[in-house]
Amino acid sequence: MNNASISSAMVPLSKPLVNERVNNKRLPGDLAMWFFILAELTVFAIFFIGFAVAEQLNADMFVASKAKLHPIAGLINTIALITSSLFVALSVRAIHLGNVKESLNLLIISQLIAYVYLVVKVWEYQFLFALGIDIETNTFFILYFLITFFHLMHVLLGMVILILVGLNAKKGAYKDDVSGFESAASYWHMVDLLWIILFPLIYVI
Amino acid sequence: MVTLKQIIVSWLLLIALTLASVLTGKVFDNYAIFICSILLIVFLKGQQITDIFMELREAPKMWRMLVLSYVFIIPSIICFIYLL
Repeated sequence: MNNASISSAMVPLSKPLVNERVNNKRLPGDLAMWFFILAELTVFAIFFIGFAVAEQLNADMFVASKAKLHPIAGLINTIALITSSLFVALSVRAIHLGNVKESLNLLIISQLIAYVYLVVKVWEYQFLFALGIDIETNTFFILYFLITFFHLMHVLLGMVILILVGLNAKKGAYKDDVSGFESAASYWHMVDLLWIILFPLIYVI
Repeated sequence: MVTLKQIIVSWLLLIALTLASVLTGKVFDNYAIFICSILLIVFLKGQQITDIFMELREAPKMWRMLVLSYVFIIPSIICFIYLL
């Protein structure tokens, strides 16, 4: 067989391989969830930019107010959310491999770690209230309570979604199609993504 | 599908970058370098979450770029505001 016949014989074989590789570029989860995630990121982006502008306009007040926040609380919450996301990512991997029981166990661990975030956040609010600080104290604390409470609501929603997904997984709902599971996981990772911007903005800078 | 090793390495990197962002203020005296370092760390962490945890590295390029644009554009705008 000469070179020309070899290359012509290879064309029908290589084309499906290329198509297969292109088709493998799949968006995890449902398309609607990704539009929702982008909308949520946009809302928080406005909050974050507003916070930075307010800080520039009230630099001294923001420095003094940030000094009243507990320095370790933000760090613990960051580690808690990142670690919770780790277990959600592992849980998605397990469900892909068909290991429902392992996936559920990993999901439960992720939720237990998320409770650390909740406890620390509530403790942090109580710590501030005990100092006589609330949402009406100054511009910094208006934005602090607004942004962190809004984020907390997203954490709670994410936890509820993951619990429902876990119950569905237990009933065997994701044996053929895991997109619902992936959507819930993506939402949870978005909550994490928001916190990694929120953390330095409020606690570090 | 992302591998187990990729997920674990990504998590370790996220923890290391978090600790680095806390220590950055003690390392740099220059305000501009401090702000830029913090926001660079935000971008690097965002990239890990987007690519590995969200598995967008294996998704259509447009969706990956869309989500990554948030972790690039928001810190860039914040950096610009702080350095004004």
